[in-house]
Amino acid sequence: MSGRLIFRSIFNNYPNKLLLNRNFSPCSSVLVSIFNVNNKAFCTKTKAKVTEKKHCNIGTIGHVDHGKTTLTAAITKVLSKDGSARFVSYDEIDKAPEEKARGITINAAHVGYSTKNRHYAHTDCPGHADYIRNMISGASQMDAAILVVAANDGPMPQTREHLLLAKQVGIQYILVYINKADLVDNELLELVEIEMREMLTDFGYDGSRVPMICGSALKALNEDESEYGTPSIRKLLDAIDNYVPPIVRDLSSPFLMPIDNAFTVPGRGTVVVGTLKRGVMKKNDDAELMGFGFSIKTTLSDIQIFKKSVGEALAGDNVGVLLRGLKIRSVESGMLLCAAKSVQLSNHYKAKIYFLSRSEGGRKKPVFSKYSQQMFSGTWNIACRIDLEPTMDMMMPGDHGEVYLTLLEGMVMTQGQPFTIRENNVTVATGIITETLPSLDVPNGKLGKVVIKYENS
Amino acid sequence: MKQKVKSYSKMIFQLVRSLHTGPVCRAAESSLLAKLRKKTGYTIANCKKALEMHNNDTDKAEAWLNEQAQAMGWAKATKLAGRTALQGLVAVKFDKNHGALVELNCETDFVAKNDKFHKMIEDATLACFKFAHTHMQSKGPVTKMELDSEQLGNLASEGGKKLSETLALFIGSVGENAVLRRAECWKANSNDVKIAGYTHPAPTVAGDYSAGKYGALLAYKQANDHEDIGKQLCQHIVGCAPRKIGDKEADKPAKNTDDETCLIFQEYLLDPSYTVEEILQQNKVEVIDYVRFSCGESVEANMPGVEKQPLDTVQTMQ
Repeated sequence: MSGRLIFRSIFNNYPNKLLLNRNFSPCSSVLVSIFNVNNKAFCTKTKAKVTEKKHCNIGTIGHVDHGKTTLTAAITKVLSKDGSARFVSYDEIDKAPEEKARGITINAAHVGYSTKNRHYAHTDCPGHADYIRNMISGASQMDAAILVVAANDGPMPQTREHLLLAKQVGIQYILVYINKADLVDNELLELVEIEMREMLTDFGYDGSRVPMICGSALKALNEDESEYGTPSIRKLLDAIDNYVPPIVRDLSSPFLMPIDNAFTVPGRGTVVVGTLKRGVMKKNDDAELMGFGFSIKTTLSDIQIFKKSVGEALAGDNVGVLLRGLKIRSVESGMLLCAAKSVQLSNHYKAKIYFLSRSEGGRKKPVFSKYSQQMFSGTWNIACRIDLEPTMDMMMPGDHGEVYLTLLEGMVMTQGQPFTIRENNVTVATGIITETLPSLDVPNGKLGKVVIKYENS
Repeated sequence: MKQKVKSYSKMIFQLVRSLHTGPVCRAAESSLLAKLRKKTGYTIANCKKALEMHNNDTDKAEAWLNEQAQAMGWAKATKLAGRTALQGLVAVKFDKNHGALVELNCETDFVAKNDKFHKMIEDATLACFKFAHTHMQSKGPVTKMELDSEQLGNLASEGGKKLSETLALFIGSVGENAVLRRAECWKANSNDVKIAGYTHPAPTVAGDYSAGKYGALLAYKQANDHEDIGKQLCQHIVGCAPRKIGDKEADKPAKNTDDETCLIFQEYLLDPSYTVEEILQQNKVEVIDYVRFSCGESVEANMPGVEKQPLDTVQTMQ
């Protein structure tokens, strides 16, 4: 196109290339970076700026009286001075109305702010069950957490339960904000710090590396510029920026693309459309179209992004792929296009599920093993049977827990994929897949006759 | 890296400080403080105060802290008394002829998962269970005693203290409002009346004590030649929440089986092809009475003007 474009591609993509872990030989890297610019120029994902601001989900956990809400308000106050957040007052956060996400009542306050490095979506969940429901319904994820402990009390007995939740939910990065530091002397502060480091180590976190910041959220909220006021909040934000690494898109795994749509191009063949979930797909790669019990081998004849042919596509790109030798009636919404031999079909999964309570429009009576209904995920649905762990007698509406799913036909479902269970078109449960298990035999297409093998038996 | 430098410099400062000649060595003080805190679990500020008041004598400090804990527990309990406490657990303990069902509330479900909470509710349930053994008999097949917060507080727990005192200690340690909401203590008045209990979630190993979000107690008569289905009936009661037993003569089944509130007309939870009535007939069971607790359901404030019944009168169903 132009020399300017080539120049831009080399200069602008250098920092990106350092971030992306790609094994391309140096000579083709220049060519690739030109293609990269093409993608970026036409792809709707990245607009004018080449470096997009990263996003991080963070939250506060801690005892009700130790100052979580005050801290959240203080953070928004400090950043509102910089113009990168809207100040949310204590009352607004504290009295946040119950939200409904996909019909489920969530008791959590959501606040947004950004530092010069990242956007943050901040959640404050008052309860354990609240947090799990939040996570299962997809309303929020926590990549990192700020544990708030008051210096005059030190950690409470239930601080262990807070850390247990963080561990269960998979939060890898915890920071500690020792609040009310102005009420005690240095000796106590040191003691609290030592105690917290020991406790964190007990729960499998690296106690010696966890950033601990002392301060007073109340002082910061009152715009006090002394050491424990506003500066402590800035220290905390810096620590979060530096300690929590950016979430990188997975480009090294074999590619995987859920299919949203398919159509026939006269004279050329069948084209499937979707957003690449992970990996890199290149023209002429071997692939398999998998789902509903079928696994069809095919080749990627052509890849197009916004009607322009490209040699490859990256995770996050929305593409149309021409598949060699495939009839359109073989394709159904819900199937996945994967790199050849990379994933297996399975009809048996482990999942975390939440049954909507009666007041949320869910069931009235409890659920037992062998419960069969329709499972909906994305744009497709399939008959599914739910079995509880052998130790659980039943699950009441309003309960959440781990269950085994057995589908009528083999599909490809990824970890964290959300789904809902509907009874007569009314949503009764929502969940996410946690693990893929080996397929089970469904005799004569009757789910009721399947024999489940439990993991611990 | 910065953190490491910071902590190292702090350590060096501490060392330097500890070498300073003074009446008491600073470093020694802070390790005493750490030990006292670890041993007793009281708040750091209080541990420090205790050491200062008793010249760093850890034994005296500990004794003082234990004394103070009760008073501070009461103070905290009074301070937090108004706060909504709807989380918590329902616990049940039963044997063949006695049963106790207790609800203990707290503010967050984090506390409800904590060991100290479990210990507290177990104490309370044990106290109620003992109470079910000792009291007078009433007319009718089952002696039922309903206890409210105040009456529960007056029961004696294991160590001889009143439940209200152990509760105050508990509130002092977790810093949340906790309420012994209500309890039911039942005693069978004759040998052919049996008592069964169940909570959901049920424990993996069945025993005579369990705690969960829902609980039920059942008093029934069943001939010994059939398999005992008391526990299963309790499970049905927890799952289907019937409002009353129902009388074949007086009550009619509801039009929509999902909305059925009479126990006898409901579809049996464990086998929906039969109604509970049919199951009762098949197994030769007579349901005398039942009670179901769901954690957090009783939000009514204490009604003014309603007199509390003193403990030596008992309540029975009409």
